[in-house]
Amino acid sequence: MSESARKKQRTTPRNSEAREGADEATPYSNLRQLSSVIPKPITPFRRASSAGPTPGSRRTPNIAIRTPGTAARTPRGGPGARPLPACRAAPTTPHAIRALRERANAARTPGHNRRRSGRVQRETPRDTLRDLSRILARTTQPIQPSPQLPELVPRNPAFDLPDIDDGPEPVAPRLSMPLEDMYDDDSIHEAPPRQSLLPELPDDVDTGTIHSLEFGRRALSEDPRMLFSTRISERLADLNQLGIDGEEYEIDGTFINRISAADADQLLDNAIDEPLDDTTTELRALTGRRDGRASDINLGIFGEQDEPDEPTFRFTIPQRIQETRPPEPLEEEGESEDADLDAQPDVIAPEDDATGGLEIGGWESDLGADDDLDLQAYREEVSAVNRSLQTQSPERRVPAEGGPRRQRRELKVSRYGHEYPTFPAATVKRLVNGIAKPQGSNAKISKDTLATIMQATDWFFEQVGEDLAAYAQHAGRKQIEERDIVTLMKRYVTIYVLLPHTAHPHGILRLTGYITGSAKSQ
Amino acid sequence: MAPSTTLYPRATLKKIVKAHSNRPLTKNVDILVFLNYTLFLQELMKEASIKSKQSGERGISARSVRRVREHCLRKFKG
Repeated sequence: MSESARKKQRTTPRNSEAREGADEATPYSNLRQLSSVIPKPITPFRRASSAGPTPGSRRTPNIAIRTPGTAARTPRGGPGARPLPACRAAPTTPHAIRALRERANAARTPGHNRRRSGRVQRETPRDTLRDLSRILARTTQPIQPSPQLPELVPRNPAFDLPDIDDGPEPVAPRLSMPLEDMYDDDSIHEAPPRQSLLPELPDDVDTGTIHSLEFGRRALSEDPRMLFSTRISERLADLNQLGIDGEEYEIDGTFINRISAADADQLLDNAIDEPLDDTTTELRALTGRRDGRASDINLGIFGEQDEPDEPTFRFTIPQRIQETRPPEPLEEEGESEDADLDAQPDVIAPEDDATGGLEIGGWESDLGADDDLDLQAYREEVSAVNRSLQTQSPERRVPAEGGPRRQRRELKVSRYGHEYPTFPAATVKRLVNGIAKPQGSNAKISKDTLATIMQATDWFFEQVGEDLAAYAQHAGRKQIEERDIVTLMKRYVTIYVLLPHTAHPHGILRLTGYITGSAKSQ
Repeated sequence: MAPSTTLYPRATLKKIVKAHSNRPLTKNVDILVFLNYTLFLQELMKEASIKSKQSGERGISARSVRRVREHCLRKFKG
């Protein structure tokens, strides 16, 4: 009964405003029931917003008597209707003044009234439907398009059979088209790199090789480490010459053979240059740690060693880079061996053999299966070459081999060629836990942390061994004695323990306590 | 520290130091080396905990250790 009463009251103004009211009485009434029953708090607010003048607003006690009168003037009365009484009394703040002006302007414009009448029309049946649709649609909308889109694609070819035939044909060119278009259509842009580097190649349309070759050279030139050595320019010149010499490219004309030819020469160059590095003993920081005993070099190295450790990501990332442009990382391997103490090349090389052939086929559609086989073979060659290079300069390569194998519990080889086991991680973990607990850190040592500490341990023993050997040699002994390690420890104590406490009267006592305490803690 | 278990594998440590120094060791050098190593670890963990607290980590992360360890190694350089 109350619903019918509401209908009458509501419908009367709507009939005057909207023409649809009478026809849609039955569905509208149903929807009205829903709207009136379910979202009661919402309805008065919305009526106030758009349908202020409707009699529904008269009922609502919040808006009170003013709303119908004001609503006739102000179309947007709803949200502003409530603050209005307060604001009209004293619109002191600039925002309130602006709001009032806007309202007045909005009331004067006739277009708003029209729209408003439209809104009123909508509100009668459509608004409730909209509310329902909004409530429903938010859940349904995301679901609908996803089935529709995939369905549309198969449907079209299903209806049109020729489309199916047409479909796959453009797909294959799409993969290669952009590259071809780039070089065929844009002859102006194409000309400089191709003709200068590889004049005879463009017939083969192996654009990827050209790019990769270029990138490799740029990487060499841009590599900050390389900038220090004056030899870069020579190398670059050689590389350019090698790149210009296209004899081997001509013969096979396949993608890989060219690179292999070029890279083999490049590797040879590297091989030639590396012994020079050893003889000249430059101040390259990375060689210095092994060879030179000068502390300056070591200081520099430690700073740089921080970087190669953090990108353990390199183990993963360069693989992907290799897949897209194979020659570059190979060159980088050669360079990184010069540069880095870590064992990245060893890790990378076997993984190349495993992954390289498969994924390259997926990446570059131009390559055939034969090319992949050649690539694998070629990479194996490269890795072999690298290993041979490693054996040439054992002092540098040794730690490189040692790094990754630490966890495998294999024997590492020191710079003197002696194999040595890894310090057991369990011992280190126990020690570290024993140290960390009294310091107040309750958290357990994570795997990564332990691995880092293990690496530091390796370095520490390496450093200690070298230092002890140096002390023993200085004393003219062949054997390392306790004096040597005592001297070594004294150095640490005097600089880092004693000196800071010298100002303090009990510094020495503290020092002794420090040592004895730590000895007890063992 | 559990006293029952061996503190550290003596032979392993001897081999490591021997391999790096290319010289024979006298009887008890490895013990002192281990003492030195313990001090190093202590220093390393202290610095790492300070670093991790500075950077607001809860435990000692590998990153903080990595940042600190070169400095610590340099401290223990002869």
